Amino acid sequence: MEGVAELVLFTVWVAVLATLLILPLGVAAAYALARWDGPGKGVVETLLTLPLVLPPTAVGLVLLELLGRHGPLGRVLDAWGVEVVFTPRAVVLASAVMAFPLLVRSARSGFEEVDPRLVAVARTLGDSRLRAFFRVTLPLAWRGVLVGALLAFSRALGEFGATVLVAGNIPGRTQTLSLAIFQRTQLGRDAEALQLAGVAAVLAFVAVFATESVTRRRGRRVRA
Amino acid sequence: MSLDLDLRLPLARFTLEVKARLEGTSVAVMGRSGSGKTSLLEVLAGLRRGARGRVAVAGHVLLDSEARRDVPPEQRRMGYVPQDALLFPHLTAAQNVRFGARPGRASRVDEAVEILELAPLLHRYPATLSGGEKQRVALARALATDPALLLLDEPLAALDVALKERVLPYLLRVRDEARVPMLYVTHQLGEARVLAQEALLLEHGQVRAVGRAAEVLGTAARGLLGSGEEGEENILEGVLHRPEGGGLRLKLSGGLSLWVPDAPELATGMRAAYAVPASDILLSIHALTGISARNVMAGTVLKVEPLPVGEAAATVEVDGVRWVVWLTSASVRELGVVPGAHVSLAVKSSACRRLR
Repeated sequence: MEGVAELVLFTVWVAVLATLLILPLGVAAAYALARWDGPGKGVVETLLTLPLVLPPTAVGLVLLELLGRHGPLGRVLDAWGVEVVFTPRAVVLASAVMAFPLLVRSARSGFEEVDPRLVAVARTLGDSRLRAFFRVTLPLAWRGVLVGALLAFSRALGEFGATVLVAGNIPGRTQTLSLAIFQRTQLGRDAEALQLAGVAAVLAFVAVFATESVTRRRGRRVRA
Repeated sequence: MSLDLDLRLPLARFTLEVKARLEGTSVAVMGRSGSGKTSLLEVLAGLRRGARGRVAVAGHVLLDSEARRDVPPEQRRMGYVPQDALLFPHLTAAQNVRFGARPGRASRVDEAVEILELAPLLHRYPATLSGGEKQRVALARALATDPALLLLDEPLAALDVALKERVLPYLLRVRDEARVPMLYVTHQLGEARVLAQEALLLEHGQVRAVGRAAEVLGTAARGLLGSGEEGEENILEGVLHRPEGGGLRLKLSGGLSLWVPDAPELATGMRAAYAVPASDILLSIHALTGISARNVMAGTVLKVEPLPVGEAAATVEVDGVRWVVWLTSASVRELGVVPGAHVSLAVKSSACRRLR
């Protein structure tokens, strides 16, 4: 079957980029949610979780409206000569948005496990807030962040609904594994679709297995 | 060291108000739980927002709410040692100790490791250390930053009695060898007496007494701490000496010398600290002779203070060393134990428990 290697490569590449794209923002949001307890926290939390429960096609539609040539963001990007909709960039973006809540949720519980008094001690030992974050908070929360990144990556691997709306299903340009499976079944090439599904299952297995093994080791960690 | 405090901090149940000027190199802060002791340390360390007033350590203003000055914790040089050590669990003991070491002051790290005898523990992670070992690492970590002031929040409270006795001598070494001023929160009168030159007593956030430890840590402190149930100890430090005829003696600074239980690992010239419970000392108004207790001393009663449970605490000075002796109120009356009376004290050597 031709093109499978390219499909896999593109799909993994998209998932990696999407994960890297949301990592800084997701970690910052997770940390803020773990530490900040101001008014409106519940609303922010809910908004950040929405992509997880909304129909992916609804998220895709919103992205399309925002990024389309006449959308508010699309117009700005167009002025800079950046095209997003129906390009590989749109695939990355759609996957990133859909994966974001998973990263934030897991990273946040990682940060919540870090005793804030350890950070206070680090401050008295001469660390600024930022330095204490990188020397104490992050090293103690990294498993939560890593699990979040792996979950986000797994989610991005299989993204379909948002992607198909904002990036289309263009073979060789925006087509990922999940989009290809859909296309093959539409064309009545069920055997091929099934093979692709098998490949997707292997990819997903590896990603989830990695996540599970990190999570398991986290439980074994001895606390001081 | 000088410590100028004039601060107010609203807490849940009361307002912490401390106005005091302390000059000693070691200050005990005492009070019941919830009296504001920990909050006071946190204000000094810069970890509490909302404190008003003025705080200056050795002339450096750390907080001055009128001038809108509030130095962030990382610039205060306060060596904070919390009650439960709070070591960084992802770092080894060595990495913990070096965490805040200032560049160019590596010798401070070596000194801290030596004073607290951490060399054998350095490669271990906090999870594998005992409570006393954790406290020593936490102390070293604070010392290694070359702090202007050590803030010790009941460093012994989380430890059981045996461990406590293992850490106390290290605190004495930190005070005497590292020569870093310390502010020390504790419940224990004996600990406070042996460690501190000055004392500050807190009750519901208010200063009840402040001044020289010898004066403050009497009736007021006992009433405040309710030490009646816990008992009280005399803590004695000195240098060991093996006389020719055998046995082991502890020479105290004032010239007084005590027989203490012998142990093979102890040798002439070693420094050691011993605890003698105040209720294990016999007091007589006559000279004591023909008695089995090996330590018999003549002294003068300085004061007699009532204790809550039908007992009294007599402070007796013997060659410059103050002993606290607990007796029943009846004995005080019948024997006529009053300030100025000449008395004899007898202490069995087995009542002297070595702190190590």
